[in-house]
Amino acid sequence: MSQEEVDILKRTLARERASRKAAEEILEAKSAELYEVNQKLEASHKELTTLYSKTNSQLQGVFENIADAYVIIDLWGNVLKMNQAAIDLLGFNYKTEDINLMDLVVKEEIHLVAPSFKGLLEKGTITDYKVHVLTKNNEKKLVHINASTIYEDGRAVAAQGIVRDITLENKYQQALVAEKQKYGNIIANMNLGLVEVNNDDEILMVNQSFEEMSGYLEEELLGKKGGDVFQADSNNDRIKIENEKRLRGESNSYELRVKNKKGEIRYWLISGAPNYDLKGNITGSIGIHLDITELKNLEFQKEKLLQKLEKSNEELQEYAHIVSHDLKSPLRSIDALISWLKEDNKDKLDDVSLQNFSLIETTLEKMEQLISDILNYSSVASDNTDLEPVNTQALIDDLLKILYVPDHINVKVLNTLPTVCGDKTKLQQVFQNLISNAVKFNDKENGLIEIDVEENDNFYQFSFKDNGIGIDPQFHDKIFKIFHSLNKSKDSTGIGLSLVKKIVNLHDGKIWLESEPGKGTTFYFTLKK
Amino acid sequence: MRTLNVLLIEDDMIEVMKLSRATSSLNLNHKIIEANNGEEALKLLEEKDKLPDIILLDLNMPKINGIEFLKILKADDRLKYIPTIILTTSNNQRDLLECYKIGIAGYVLKPLKYEDYVSKIEKLLGYWSINELITT
Repeated sequence: MSQEEVDILKRTLARERASRKAAEEILEAKSAELYEVNQKLEASHKELTTLYSKTNSQLQGVFENIADAYVIIDLWGNVLKMNQAAIDLLGFNYKTEDINLMDLVVKEEIHLVAPSFKGLLEKGTITDYKVHVLTKNNEKKLVHINASTIYEDGRAVAAQGIVRDITLENKYQQALVAEKQKYGNIIANMNLGLVEVNNDDEILMVNQSFEEMSGYLEEELLGKKGGDVFQADSNNDRIKIENEKRLRGESNSYELRVKNKKGEIRYWLISGAPNYDLKGNITGSIGIHLDITELKNLEFQKEKLLQKLEKSNEELQEYAHIVSHDLKSPLRSIDALISWLKEDNKDKLDDVSLQNFSLIETTLEKMEQLISDILNYSSVASDNTDLEPVNTQALIDDLLKILYVPDHINVKVLNTLPTVCGDKTKLQQVFQNLISNAVKFNDKENGLIEIDVEENDNFYQFSFKDNGIGIDPQFHDKIFKIFHSLNKSKDSTGIGLSLVKKIVNLHDGKIWLESEPGKGTTFYFTLKK
Repeated sequence: MRTLNVLLIEDDMIEVMKLSRATSSLNLNHKIIEANNGEEALKLLEEKDKLPDIILLDLNMPKINGIEFLKILKADDRLKYIPTIILTTSNNQRDLLECYKIGIAGYVLKPLKYEDYVSKIEKLLGYWSINELITT
């Protein structure tokens, strides 16, 4: 072997050695790399495992603690798992009993279940599904379900869903709708015209009744001002004033003379209130309109009638005066003529003739008294009563001074009489009539008249008690009627007690009597305090 | 005591008789002039030199009634000074008020009894006969 050959071999060997070394080095590096990767993989696996268990426990927590009922079912509806909320909602517990959700659906809706279940499987989800179910306690509940399918290896194996009890919510909603409907109906059907205006008085809405009341259609009115369209008195700025009040937040009600589409004058009673938006700003007002034309007409009619009545009362009063004058005049003339006859024939008349003349005179007096009484009676009309405080004690004291009371009759006032509200002259007539009646019809040797008063809550009860001839019970009502004098005598015209009753009634009082024939009579009457 | 010229305005004949009979039975020398209604009285009052001293006036008369007559009287510059006494049956409060408002010198109610009448007339005429009156 030549040197050259040896060198060549040596060089080859050296090259081989070097390349083996390099290969070893590469191998070593690769192995280290591999180890590193392996290490990393291991760490990430660990991480993943923790993450998984963490997520899993998180999910478990969500599952347990979710406020909504959460249920997992198999493809046939059998419950595999349910949370506490679901147990609470349905009353069943999957741990102790087998539950199939399909069985819970109420009979009436059972036909709806299969299609929706199919939908769930095909599309993978179902949302906003509402169905009525029966709980274990046989309670009917409306539930809202959102569900999705669970897949394993691309195959549907189960379904999970969130079930929400919306029974109450639904009830509230229905109630709200019903309420809204109710008020809607009321507004639509009420006989009151409803108008909504904005802050510039422009009409935003009217109801049907208002259309009927006004004769205008809603579209004819929208955007117009009510004051311009309806007001009958153009110079009346009532609407403006009232609307300004509403803008200040005041509710109000007022009457208005208006013209409808036909040009007829009507009267409306308008009640208005400000309208607010959700933030509490005034956005306009709502006015309720009631047609009070008929009422108003009645009111006018009443006023007219009252005026007429007043006038006719006045005329009647005048008439009574004239008639009484005309009736009294001849009486005066007859009396004068009789006097002259007597005077001129002083010594020529016998006793009988003189007596007859005297009878004529008495008759004339009675006749005149009658006329005066009738005039008096007709003067006691209800409308010209002047009410003032009247001291009845003073009234009686004065009366007893001027009334003729014979010596054998004693008039006693047992209590201090009160001050009442009334017409003095008329009350005097009452007292005077009762006293003079008691005097007139007293047949006892020692006559006694006792005047007394009793105080009640709202009225005074006066009593006039005498020990006179008394009145038979059958006449107790009759004596208060005009011209029903029981005793035809010179100074009794039969008007006195009817006048008394009329006056007492005028003062909103009552009058009655108690009496025993032969023993005496007590007249009672009441006067308001 | 002066004798009076009395103008009685009265439509009732017997009332007229009553006054003259009363004055004569009382022996009073007053001169009574009669007018049966307001128109007649106004005619009499046209003669300004023969004006009465006092006027007795009934309220209820045909044609011009007492109150209307009174108004005419009070609107006249001369006649308004003649004392006018109402002599009537009407005790109507409204008449009373109206008369005093227009201006009267008295308001006497005619009583039923003739003797009461005589006594009232005696006092009335007695009072006015002692009064100073406007004569021109």
